[in-house]
Amino acid sequence: MQVPLEWLKQFVPITESAQEIATRLTMGGLEVEGIETEQCEERPLVPVLDTYITPNRGDCLSILGVAREAAALYNVPLTHSNGAVSRSVGSDLDGIHVTIEAPDLCPRYAARIVRNVKIGPSPGWMQARLKSAGQRPISNVVDVTNYVMLELGQPLHAFDLDKIEGKRIIVRRARTGEELTTLDGVERSLTPEILVIADANRPIAAAGLMGGADSEVSETTTDILLEAAHFNPLSVRRASRMLALRSEASYRFERVVDPNGVVRALDRACELLMEMGNALPTPGVVDVYPIPVEPVYLQIRHERASFLLGMNITPQIAVECLTRLGFEVRDSGEYITALIPTFRSDIRIEEDLVEEIGRIYGYENIPETLPDGAASAGGDSEEGSFLTKIRSSLAASGLIEVVNHSLSGPSLFDSEEDNSSRVRVRNALSTEVSMLRRSLLPGILETAKRNAAHGQTAMHLFEVGRVWQITGDNTGDSVPKEYSAAAGFMSGPLTPPGWMRTGGDEAADYYTVRGVVEQLLRLLRIEESEFLPPANSAQIPQFHPGRTAILSLSKQYPAAGVVGELHPRLASTLGLKDRIYLFEISLEALDYTAPKGPPRYASLSRYPSVTRDLAPRVHQSVRYAEVKSAALSVDSPILESLRLTDMYAGDPLPEGIKSYTLSLVFRSASRTLLDSEIQEAVDIIRARLMERCSAKFAG
Amino acid sequence: MSDPIDLIIQEAELALQSAGNSQELGQIETRFLGRNKGLNELRRSIGTLPKEDRPAFGARINQAAEALNSKFTAKRTLLEDQELQQRIESEYLDISVPGRPLPQGSLHPLTATASLIKKALSGLGFEFVDGPELELYRYNFEALNYPADHPAMDEQNSFFVTDELLLRTQTTSLQGRIMELRQPPFRIATIGRCYRYEAVDATHHHTFHQIDVFMVDENVSMADLKGTLAAFARSMFGQSTLIRFRPDFFPFVEPGVDYSISWQMPDGRVRWLEIGGAGLIHPHILQSHGIDKERYSGFAFGLGVERIHMLRTGTDDLRLYLENDLRFLKQFSSSV
Repeated sequence: MQVPLEWLKQFVPITESAQEIATRLTMGGLEVEGIETEQCEERPLVPVLDTYITPNRGDCLSILGVAREAAALYNVPLTHSNGAVSRSVGSDLDGIHVTIEAPDLCPRYAARIVRNVKIGPSPGWMQARLKSAGQRPISNVVDVTNYVMLELGQPLHAFDLDKIEGKRIIVRRARTGEELTTLDGVERSLTPEILVIADANRPIAAAGLMGGADSEVSETTTDILLEAAHFNPLSVRRASRMLALRSEASYRFERVVDPNGVVRALDRACELLMEMGNALPTPGVVDVYPIPVEPVYLQIRHERASFLLGMNITPQIAVECLTRLGFEVRDSGEYITALIPTFRSDIRIEEDLVEEIGRIYGYENIPETLPDGAASAGGDSEEGSFLTKIRSSLAASGLIEVVNHSLSGPSLFDSEEDNSSRVRVRNALSTEVSMLRRSLLPGILETAKRNAAHGQTAMHLFEVGRVWQITGDNTGDSVPKEYSAAAGFMSGPLTPPGWMRTGGDEAADYYTVRGVVEQLLRLLRIEESEFLPPANSAQIPQFHPGRTAILSLSKQYPAAGVVGELHPRLASTLGLKDRIYLFEISLEALDYTAPKGPPRYASLSRYPSVTRDLAPRVHQSVRYAEVKSAALSVDSPILESLRLTDMYAGDPLPEGIKSYTLSLVFRSASRTLLDSEIQEAVDIIRARLMERCSAKFAG
Repeated sequence: MSDPIDLIIQEAELALQSAGNSQELGQIETRFLGRNKGLNELRRSIGTLPKEDRPAFGARINQAAEALNSKFTAKRTLLEDQELQQRIESEYLDISVPGRPLPQGSLHPLTATASLIKKALSGLGFEFVDGPELELYRYNFEALNYPADHPAMDEQNSFFVTDELLLRTQTTSLQGRIMELRQPPFRIATIGRCYRYEAVDATHHHTFHQIDVFMVDENVSMADLKGTLAAFARSMFGQSTLIRFRPDFFPFVEPGVDYSISWQMPDGRVRWLEIGGAGLIHPHILQSHGIDKERYSGFAFGLGVERIHMLRTGTDDLRLYLENDLRFLKQFSSSV
């Protein structure tokens, strides 16, 4: 709301500088976002307060409203009188009959008739004020309606009296199929949800929004009907949305206009028209107002303000603050009763009065205390602590955390089927941000691509965040579900380049990314996990079919995640030299599988361990997992650990044969092992490998 | 003819003098003191002596061996010291050359800021709870005392998925969920992602992160709100930070305020910077969750995670947080 200072000062005797007034209003709750100085023709610089009015304070959307606030804050009286108010003549005036058929949407409709109007430009002073308040001058009649709206907050509309057919004004819901061309020249289809002002035959205005072009005041107009009404805020808001039509009037009606200000606004408009020429208002005002809105009485207990504000508010202070706001106040000894004017429809409960007292007295007087009472031991949520663990592990492995949008478009990475299970936003800003992500990977790939364009080569990234998917619920309905996931991207050497010639400069590969995932599992104390080949390449078309594993954690989560190389077809679009490795894991699966509570202590053996190597040679088709599981199937009580220390194929091994070197560590908790029993255990394992994996051994 | 013991000692001392390093010395030592060598070889010849001479001869050999031994020890110490000295001198590095780089992971500035916030609020007794980002309309608006279809929602333009589901516009949406489940007293905080239907520029984004903090107990006042905010702000922005309230409107608080912190500008002047909204939880919200508003009151405040990081680090563009330019992220890889 643009508030020209000289206009404001006409209503309230304040002499402070624009800056001082802006600060006072801002600290009182009417935020002045800036002070503009506008150069108007033939006039000095006019400071204009650019004021933001919160949605609850429709009463401040006028010079008068802002003046009332300023008067309360500066503790000075308003200088503008209410002026004489025309006498109501009921529903008929000068041959015009007014009916309200929808009193729920229009509790009050008032109008005056002005004859002998000569349409022309409005006087310079009025044009200047309108301009400084951000309005474009149009003609004297239209300018007067706008001027009064800005001054008093009551929107007005002027109809050409001659164009009102049947001499009737009917406030009713539009009929299906009715149309109205509004002042902006747009032809609009109406529905019964939209309230209209109609004459005997047709709608002539969309109530509270905009007048119709047919009944518009024109150069040939001589007699006008000036309307000032009170429309239901919700009804105006809905109609505004349905018609995609907003106006200064609808903005005010949505935020509640004082129903008791209509006649004053009409009188003010007539007074201005008379000042401007030989316009002749018909005495009296049509006023259909079946159930008048009355000011309400509200009580505030003496201790309540002190209690809630946390500072000492004496009854005297409370009375003074409320009086300054223009409320009639009575102190009964235990509580104060305030009569709330009808323009303050935002004040309805005791706490509203507490706020009024607080802000007028000054929030700067509130002391700083800390709450009493038993506080629980604060701390992070279980989910939060879990995510912290995940993030710490991945960062400790050398990955950089990224945080991407949750909204994205259809991605190359997702198949048609994947995209169809994504959650869609009904009113997206654009296709690129039209769906909730189902996976973190497309976002990470986009991030890598952007950074590659900046010349980044080696990149090792991770993200932890929410993803969504449409799934069937127990009743079979499709519902969007929200999950947490962790994902990673690795390309190029994990170790930054140094000056040394050797060590750590190999580009990340399947084993690197898997190592990162295994490290995470270790940190979470997840001991049972398997990295399985995908059932078929269609299961994960985005990945290299031969360099990708499905992470299986348990029967509950047989596919908790995926670890592997990005399909070369997709990788080529990123512009990176090195191969790209990715992982994505469901955090629900990790959380479910990870043991809770602190780890249990296991006593440390005092006896020495013995390490033996075993080098089975197997056919290329035998996977390491099979070799390992065969060795472990022996379930030797003295086998402490088994580790792969080498893997080899090639000369001198025959074609199609590979050799694994297993390092077996034996130890007992209760004694020093004998050579013979270790040998026995090794022999059993060796035999099991021969039997299960057709392993051969050298020598 | 010379005495064979003296002869060996003479010979040994001569050899010992000539030893140039500890390895040579070891060989010489073996030659004269090794098993069946030198003095010990001579010891074996004891049987050839007349019986009465044998003890004296044996004693002399022992004496000689002891004397030789200590000479060897002294010489060895000398040589080893020299050799160590030489080795050290030969091992000088150019210590001005940079070290071996190690993989350097890091947390995103938003994560790092969130953990600072969590630490500060945990210390004030607030328990963190997480809520869904895809939220029910009911919790985002109705449970927060938004009148149906009110202009206040214009500031919270939302992304809708269905009539009932939207991407939460504020983490305040957790309040209704908590009040349905718990009875006071409680002190709750949440950090998470919010969404608004807004075009993106340096100070606006359709996706941002917000902290919401609220408590309900007996005797909670605006002064407690101010004190808690001040304690929180001081841990985020420095011990001399001041808090200022200004009246504002949010449907879920009454009285409602926005709050500013005192902030030293680059030119040295101190200005008030508005950083969030706050107030006492609206009595309608307490009552609609069966909480007696006469016995209990509560406060709530919220602010943006990005904003905190921007103020702490001088970052001037909101878009940087979700762009993940590694040049930006690496600036904060140590801490925030």
